[in-house]
Amino acid sequence: MIFTAFAVSSIVFIGIHQLPGNAFLSDRRESPEAQAALLHHYRLDLPWPTQYVLWVTGVLHGNLGESLVNRGVQVTPLLLREAATSATLGAFALLITIGVGLTLGVLASIYQNTWVDYLSTTTAVVGYSMPNFVIASLLVLLTVTGLYRWTGGAFYENIGWGKPEQVIVPALTLGFPFASYVARMTRASMLEVIRQDYVRTARAKGVKPLLLVIRHELRNALIPVVTILGPLVTGILTGSVVVESIFGIPGLGNEFVNSIVTRDYNVVIGVFTFYAVLIGLANLVVDLVYPMLDPRIRY
Amino acid sequence: MIAARPDPIVDEFVLAPHVPVWRDVLRRVSRNRLAVVGAVIALVVVVMGILSNFWTPYPYWQQALGPTFQGPTRAHPLGLDAAGRDILSRVMLGAGISIEIGIGTSLLVSVVGVTLGLLAGYYRGKLDLVISTLINIWYGIPDLLVALIFVVLIGRGLQNIIFAITITRWMDMARLVRGQTLALREREFVEAARASGTRDRQILIGQILPNALGPIIVQATLIIPAAILLEAFLSYLGLGVQPPTPSWGAMAAQGFQALQLAPHIVLAPALALSVTLLAFNWLGDGLRDALDPRMRR
Repeated sequence: MIFTAFAVSSIVFIGIHQLPGNAFLSDRRESPEAQAALLHHYRLDLPWPTQYVLWVTGVLHGNLGESLVNRGVQVTPLLLREAATSATLGAFALLITIGVGLTLGVLASIYQNTWVDYLSTTTAVVGYSMPNFVIASLLVLLTVTGLYRWTGGAFYENIGWGKPEQVIVPALTLGFPFASYVARMTRASMLEVIRQDYVRTARAKGVKPLLLVIRHELRNALIPVVTILGPLVTGILTGSVVVESIFGIPGLGNEFVNSIVTRDYNVVIGVFTFYAVLIGLANLVVDLVYPMLDPRIRY
Repeated sequence: MIAARPDPIVDEFVLAPHVPVWRDVLRRVSRNRLAVVGAVIALVVVVMGILSNFWTPYPYWQQALGPTFQGPTRAHPLGLDAAGRDILSRVMLGAGISIEIGIGTSLLVSVVGVTLGLLAGYYRGKLDLVISTLINIWYGIPDLLVALIFVVLIGRGLQNIIFAITITRWMDMARLVRGQTLALREREFVEAARASGTRDRQILIGQILPNALGPIIVQATLIIPAAILLEAFLSYLGLGVQPPTPSWGAMAAQGFQALQLAPHIVLAPALALSVTLLAFNWLGDGLRDALDPRMRR
C-alpha cells in the first residue's frame, strides 16, 4: 500500500518534471536574473534526478515543499488543513452512502416486487446514472431555491462551507450515487441470503422480524457489500473534486483543480500524494474490517 | 458447411459455432426490454450527434438570438442560455462530442487493453508481472485526477481528451482480457493449435481472441458511458473541449451560475447526459446478461 502511494506520486513527480513550462513562465515578464533566482529558490535549476532525491527526502520528513504560486506558503500544513475539510465532507458522504444505501437495499429486498421495491430500485437507478453535478443542481434547486419559495422566505440557507447545516447538501450530492451502488448490491445479496436454510430455521424458531433482519440476514448479506468499500472510498475522494468545486468548499479537491490550472506543480504533486495515502489507508481499513464480518477470512 | 471450407481443422473448430451464438445473443438482447430501450436511445443520440455536424436549428455559436436566459419558446424549444444561444442546437452538438469521446475512448481502450491483456495472460512470467503490477498501481490512482493532469499537460483537443481518458481506463479491459486469456490458454483447442505448430500470434488472434470476444464487447460498451461521464466532469471543471464547442458538462457548469434564475440551462444538458448514460448502461447490462447466461438475474 505504501509502495503504491509512493509509486503513484513518483510517477506524477517525474512525469510533471519532464514537461516544459512552469508556474513562472506565464507570469509577468521578469528579468532573466530574477527568473534564474526564482528557479534557484525552488531548486528547479537542478537536474531532475537530483530534484527527485531532494523531493523524496522532503516527503520522508513530511515536507512537500513550497507553493510555486503563493510564495512562502508551505504545502504540507496547507494541505493538512484542507484534508481535514475534505475528510469531514467525505465522512458525512460515506455515512449517507452506507445509511441510505443499506436502508434502500434492505427495504427493497424485504418488500420484493411491491411498490417499496420499485421505488427504491428506481431511486437507485436514477442515482447511479446521474453525474453528481446534475444531482447537485437538482438538490440546490430543491433545498435553496425551493425551500425559500415554499416557506415564503422564512428558510434560507446559502450554499457554502462553515456552518454545520451547510454540509448536508454537498454530502448528499457526493454520497447519493454511491448509495445507489450499495443499495443495488445489498438488495441482490439480501435476496440470496433470505432464501437460505438458516434464515428459515431462525424464523421457525420465532426470532423477532427486526432481529432476524439485522442479526441473521443483513450480517451475512453485508459480506459482498464490504468488498466494494475500497473502490467506494476512492470514488468518494474523486467525486469530492467535483463537489468541492461546485459548492466552493475549501478542501483538497478544490485546491487540486485550482493548482492544476495555475500550474502550481508542488501543490499538484502534494495533493496527489495525499490522495494516494488516503486511498491506501482506506483500503487497509477495509481489509481489517472484512475478517470481522466474515470469520472465515484470515490473513 | 464443413465441406465448403478448405481451412485447417483448428480454424473450423473456432468458426463453426460462431453464427448461431451471435444470432442467439441478438435474440436474447431483443427480449430484454431495458436493453432494447437503451439501444434505441443510444441510437437516437448517435444519429443526433452525426446530424448536428451538418444541421442544427441555429448555429451553435450564434449569440443574442433573443433575450438571454429566455425559457422554452416555440422558436427555441429548450430556451436560450446566458449569451442568448439556442440550447437545443448546443445540446445536439454536445451529443456529437460525447459520442465521439465515448466511442473513441472505447476503441482505444480496447486496442490497448486487449493487447496488454493477451500478452500478459498468454506469456505469463515476467511480462505478466510487469503488466499486472502496473494494473494494480493504476487502480490506486483516482481516475479524474490523472485525466485532469493529462489534459492540462497535453492540451484540450478532442483527441487529447480521448487519450487522457484512455490512460485512466485501460486497466479494466487489460485485467479482463488477461483473466480470460489465462483461462483459455489451458483449453484443449489452444493446446491442439500449439501442438500443430501454429504461431503464437495466430493462436492469440485466431484462437484466444474470438473466444474472449463476448466479455470484451460488454466491457467496451460499458466504457462508453464511463468515458462520457469523465469527459462531462472534465468540462464541468472547465478543462474539457475548448469553448465555444459545446459539451454537456460545460453547459451544465455555465447554467449552474444562473440556477435560480433559469434552471432550464442546467436541466437540458443534465437530462441529456443522464438519459444517455442510462441508455448505454442498460445496453451494456443487457449484453452482459445475453452473453453470459449464467449471470442472468
